Amino acid sequence: MIDGTQDEDDDTASEMDMDNYADDFKVAAKTKRKPYDVEYESLSQRSVEKLMQRDVEHICGIFGVEADTANLLLRHTKWNKEKLIENYMDNATAVLVAAGVTLPDAPTPSRTHSIASSSQSQSAARRPATRSKLLGLGSSSKSSAKSSSPPKPISRTPSKKADEAFVCQICFNDAPGLQTLALDCEHAFCTECWLDYATSKIRDESEHTVRCMAEGCALVAPDTFLRDILLGSVPATGEQQAREKTWQRLQELFVRHFVACNSHLKFCPYPSCTNTVSCPSAASKSSLITVVPTVSCGARGIGVQDSAASMSSSQQFVNGLGLKGKEHKFCFGCQVESDHRPVICSVARMWLKKCRDDSETANWIKSNTKECSQCQSTIEKNGGCNHMTCKKCKHEFCWVCMGPWSEHGTAWYSCNRYDEKTGVDARDAQSKSRASLERYLHYYNRWANHEQSAKLALDLYAKTEKKMEEMQITSALTWIEVQFMKKAVEEVDKCRMTLKWTYAMAYYLYRGNEKDLFEDNQRDLEKAVEDLSELLESPIEADNIPALRQQVTNKTVYVQKRNEIVLEDTAVGFLDGRWRWNVSVDGFDDPEDQ
Amino acid sequence: MSGICRTRLAEERKQWRKDHPFGFYAKPAKAPDGSMNLMEWEVGIPGKSKTAWEGGLFKLVMNFPEDYPSKPPKCKFSPPLFHPNVYPSGTVCLSILDEEKSWKPAITIKQILLGIQDLLDNPNVNDPAQSDAYTMFKNDKAAYERRIKQQARENIPK
Repeated sequence: MIDGTQDEDDDTASEMDMDNYADDFKVAAKTKRKPYDVEYESLSQRSVEKLMQRDVEHICGIFGVEADTANLLLRHTKWNKEKLIENYMDNATAVLVAAGVTLPDAPTPSRTHSIASSSQSQSAARRPATRSKLLGLGSSSKSSAKSSSPPKPISRTPSKKADEAFVCQICFNDAPGLQTLALDCEHAFCTECWLDYATSKIRDESEHTVRCMAEGCALVAPDTFLRDILLGSVPATGEQQAREKTWQRLQELFVRHFVACNSHLKFCPYPSCTNTVSCPSAASKSSLITVVPTVSCGARGIGVQDSAASMSSSQQFVNGLGLKGKEHKFCFGCQVESDHRPVICSVARMWLKKCRDDSETANWIKSNTKECSQCQSTIEKNGGCNHMTCKKCKHEFCWVCMGPWSEHGTAWYSCNRYDEKTGVDARDAQSKSRASLERYLHYYNRWANHEQSAKLALDLYAKTEKKMEEMQITSALTWIEVQFMKKAVEEVDKCRMTLKWTYAMAYYLYRGNEKDLFEDNQRDLEKAVEDLSELLESPIEADNIPALRQQVTNKTVYVQKRNEIVLEDTAVGFLDGRWRWNVSVDGFDDPEDQ
Repeated sequence: MSGICRTRLAEERKQWRKDHPFGFYAKPAKAPDGSMNLMEWEVGIPGKSKTAWEGGLFKLVMNFPEDYPSKPPKCKFSPPLFHPNVYPSGTVCLSILDEEKSWKPAITIKQILLGIQDLLDNPNVNDPAQSDAYTMFKNDKAAYERRIKQQARENIPK
């Protein structure tokens, strides 16, 4: 998965016994990583849980505590092991209290110590059990845990004093034989209330820390305690599923917390996807000025979990068409857009902000308004004569020549002062601002055009599919042989995204040889893409299919190559520090100094 | 939770009638048809003696959500109160009334009301909820004190 998407298609191709056709698209050997591809790894929820488990075991081993305690400690210190170890060695009691493991006034030093030493001997035997407990809903863990400690709740005594009538202070239930639970603080409440409270915390608030329900008590319920609440007692029929869902949600929240605490990990932003991507090379902010970390969690589609793992590759190939099978591609560095290569995150963000601010109204302003030559307020003339008085600065001027009205004398309604010096100056200033707007619109229109075309790609997908069916009917070609159309459409879509962002980049690039070369590459790619697009729209006739296939395949390979050139050149440019901007960008030299 | 919610409120009502702090009152609101609405309580909180709040009885409405006591009730002074931690709407900003902060299902109505009474004379400057009271409290303690005393006079129970 390190190389991203391309391998996948190749694997698919060879698996599907299309050796002769797959060769058509092979541009170069895919053994080497492209300079514009960032190295990353996709992790399932389970693999992240394994990473967490490794940290937990490490802490268990060093401190000699149980997995439950280690988990609470690590979550409290945001999974910063070094800091935890340092603080713990410094003052174990304070850390345990802060993490909600022990009570502040408990006789902690001796007690924790005794727990530590007693559990140390057991920890080896216990660890495998705890691992499966954490990873899933394995019921096997229960029996092994039971063997080493009294029955449920594990290592916590329910303060059940049968002789004394117990009233739950939350629901005021006083039924005899009421099941109660308490943490080490011994604030006992009935299991029903615990369940309701934990469920509401986990499901409604997406909170993974469930504290004791007593006022001011800061003890945190450990994982095994929560598991007992949620899955321990046998619930009424129908509730089982809801409880298991809550437990699963809790596991997901733990993983999300862990991912959020680690800068080299990011959760896949696609709805209901639970995968995580690890990308150490883009973990720091400073790295984002040289790389554009476009990654993919490997899954496809929306609402389908583990689709990459469970689907056979041929299925994946089919579902690659349309939104349903869209790959979970995203930028590791920002939330701006899934793939804004070749331009880096901060510049892409800057561009989008400018577009939001400007583009909607810019066109209208350009054609309908002028600026006051004194205070630069934007003025719309909606009627009346040409003798304008600026509402803001009260400057009187002529709408036609933009010069001050005082120079017009009595020449009302008609301006014969066209060449007046002040008028020229005013028009100069104005034309300058128009020119900058003009320049922006030049880039924006092209940018928006490619975006629009990329959106239309969906239609093109549908059209292409129909076309492919048509081709199977009208010619002797098989399904496999018409795949060249799909490949071409995908390539066009990909390149349009690249092209789109090259315009954002070009807008901010400092004028010079580098920019000229960049724009040459851009032009070549654009031309190639448009040619291929046109080819795809051309009518299909039975007798021209072999020729068309030849043409499309050739063009696709060419387009792919041009796209790689653009991406590669920009990526290398970032690494070499070749690009300079006409505005100040964090991490680059200021344009003023150049 | 809806099951617990009403049982708990009925029990809170019982406990309150059995014993409650001096000067306070708390009762479920009456619907127009005369029936009792357990989900909304009308309460009165007296200012502590020997403070600028002394003598005043401040009216407050408590709205209990369906998932009470997992979630805290919403407490709203009516009319809104001049106090740094009371929003212009009258809603009280207090950590024990925030489910993401210190709210716990075991906190009783009595504890909430005593907590709010304590807040009256001990505003939390780190959590301002209205600018008028907050700026005056920060910049001109004497004027603030005068304003509070006036407010207490306006709220003397009849």
